[in-house]
Amino acid sequence: MVGTSTLRIAWRNLWRNRRRTTLALAAIGLAQALVLVYGGVFQGYGDWMLESITGPMIGHAQAHAPEWRRDRAMDRTLAHVSAALAELRRDPDVAAAHARIYAPVLAAAGEQGYAAMVLGVDAASEAGPAGLLRGVAEPLDGRRVLIGRSLAEMLGTRAGDTLAVVGQGADGSLANELVVVAGLVQTPVDLVNRMGIVMALPQAQELFMMPDRAHEILIRARAPERAPAVVERARGLAGLAGAEVLDWKTIAPQLVELVDLVGAAWYFILILVFVAAAAGVANTMLMATYERTHELGMLLALGTRPGRIVGMIVAESLALGVVGVLLGTALGIATVAIAHRTGVDLSALAKGAPEELSFAGLSVSMRIHPTLNVGHVVQGIVAVVLTSLVASAWPALRAGRLQPMEAMRE
Amino acid sequence: MTLGTHTWRRFLLLGALLSPTPAGPAGSAAGPPDVDRLLAHLDDLYRSTSSVARIEIRVHSPRIERTMRLRAWTRGEEEVLVVIESPPREAGTATLRVGQNLWNYLPRIARTIRIPPAMMLGSWMGTDFTNDDLVKESSIRKDFDARITRRSEEPAGWWLELVAKPGVVGRWARIELLVSDELLPVEERHFDRKGRLARNMRFDEVKVLGGRRLPAHMVLILEGEPGKRTELRYLDVEFDVRLADDTFSLSRLEQNR
Repeated sequence: MVGTSTLRIAWRNLWRNRRRTTLALAAIGLAQALVLVYGGVFQGYGDWMLESITGPMIGHAQAHAPEWRRDRAMDRTLAHVSAALAELRRDPDVAAAHARIYAPVLAAAGEQGYAAMVLGVDAASEAGPAGLLRGVAEPLDGRRVLIGRSLAEMLGTRAGDTLAVVGQGADGSLANELVVVAGLVQTPVDLVNRMGIVMALPQAQELFMMPDRAHEILIRARAPERAPAVVERARGLAGLAGAEVLDWKTIAPQLVELVDLVGAAWYFILILVFVAAAAGVANTMLMATYERTHELGMLLALGTRPGRIVGMIVAESLALGVVGVLLGTALGIATVAIAHRTGVDLSALAKGAPEELSFAGLSVSMRIHPTLNVGHVVQGIVAVVLTSLVASAWPALRAGRLQPMEAMRE
Repeated sequence: MTLGTHTWRRFLLLGALLSPTPAGPAGSAAGPPDVDRLLAHLDDLYRSTSSVARIEIRVHSPRIERTMRLRAWTRGEEEVLVVIESPPREAGTATLRVGQNLWNYLPRIARTIRIPPAMMLGSWMGTDFTNDDLVKESSIRKDFDARITRRSEEPAGWWLELVAKPGVVGRWARIELLVSDELLPVEERHFDRKGRLARNMRFDEVKVLGGRRLPAHMVLILEGEPGKRTELRYLDVEFDVRLADDTFSLSRLEQNR
């Protein structure tokens, strides 16, 4: 319907009022750029949260003895843990798997005891990406433990101090041991910072009478979305027979909602582009057709078919929308790319806000790295193009119905 | 004089259930006893000077069966010392209570640790008892309104209902206590603040121990945790023993026993 000559004419027409067209382009472009930047921030934040959530504490999937999640009883353990881990690690979608022990204990540096939690962890495996000990330099071995910063403060201990740890073994017996504080840790996991005594797994297994046993096997998949498939296969493993294997969405549904909420917020922002594009295009084109009523009447009188007039108006709208959205896309991509490299400190934007937020036991950093989502770019462009088409309908129909004689009298 | 609401705690603390004189029938099928007199009698019944006892504790849970033997010393209401004698892995481990303070002594690491308030509701030595059970002091007459609710035929005795007075903060809103005609506790039920039965205790095997007639055996059942119960049995008891002054001291606690 719209030939190249129509497009050429449409483009020329647009620039007959430079200021108005520039303003409309700027409105559409800025809206698209904003949408991309917002989208980038949300995406970056969502990714970060997903990483925090599925990171060191929850992982992508977990295996436990049935009911352990209900009461965390010491004696609800997984048996033959090393065999189960070996099987799990053979799954190509499993990036890492490690066993953990969670034992509530009484910890004391002097006479006064404090409630604490021994985390028996596989030091080598947990040093990897999204492990609890990522970036921790102090080695964990034998009776050397790491303790959470807040716990250390409460206990009044420093590295090198000796700590008494008293708890209950999986067999119901009394477990007690003297451990040496190798260092203090600050992790994204609140529980560890507040109460954690991180101990090498073999030592914890010995202390709590849990030979080749653990309370939890944490599984990290190659990507979060592969978790369900990994869980499905893990359930079939001989080493995990009778165990409860769940993915992160089942384990932390409230966090899933949060991530979904962040995604949903973006669509709200997308409405902004619709409005900006619709207003920009409709206004510009309506003005243009009113202004040119006399000229359009002349064209009709000279024998131009109304369809061609309609096509021209639509082409002008489209050109306006497309050029605006492309400019905005370029601007948005450039901004997100720069912000991605430097990161955005949300706490600096909101003066006095904390650098970290604690949510559901996870510390979530306020520094985020916006990430471009190709889907957002496409959605923005499609939104603008569609809106431009719809917004052109009114001016186009008006132009198409003009009576040449009346129009020329304007 | 305070009367511990937790008959079974008294039982655990050994100051409990000590009647220097035979109680004599207090009411019968003919008519209920006077509540005030009954409570006063229970007060006297539970009053104690000192004791030394050997106790066996059996902890039953769906996956674990454990037996521990303890030796326990008490003096008055405020001082308790419990030392584990077996199994060997735990032998020598001790708990000392003086007033509201509770310490655990761990011979393997030669440390004494004071139990923090946050862990008072935690398990005591892996049993269904809480640390709080060893320390908690409360008074029936002060904290509860008591009344006799009904006659029990089998075993013969009276059911008492104890309802927490308004404004009293505690774990239990209501306690039902079955006292036999011999004026010994038979059953005690604790209801929490939501009105749910939380614990049930039964006292039986009444026999003469240390010259007194008292139930030698008690079972504690936690509601809502099927298969879990803790049994406590006196092997022998001596009452009104003269104890060294430093029996209930930290230094004594840390000495090799």
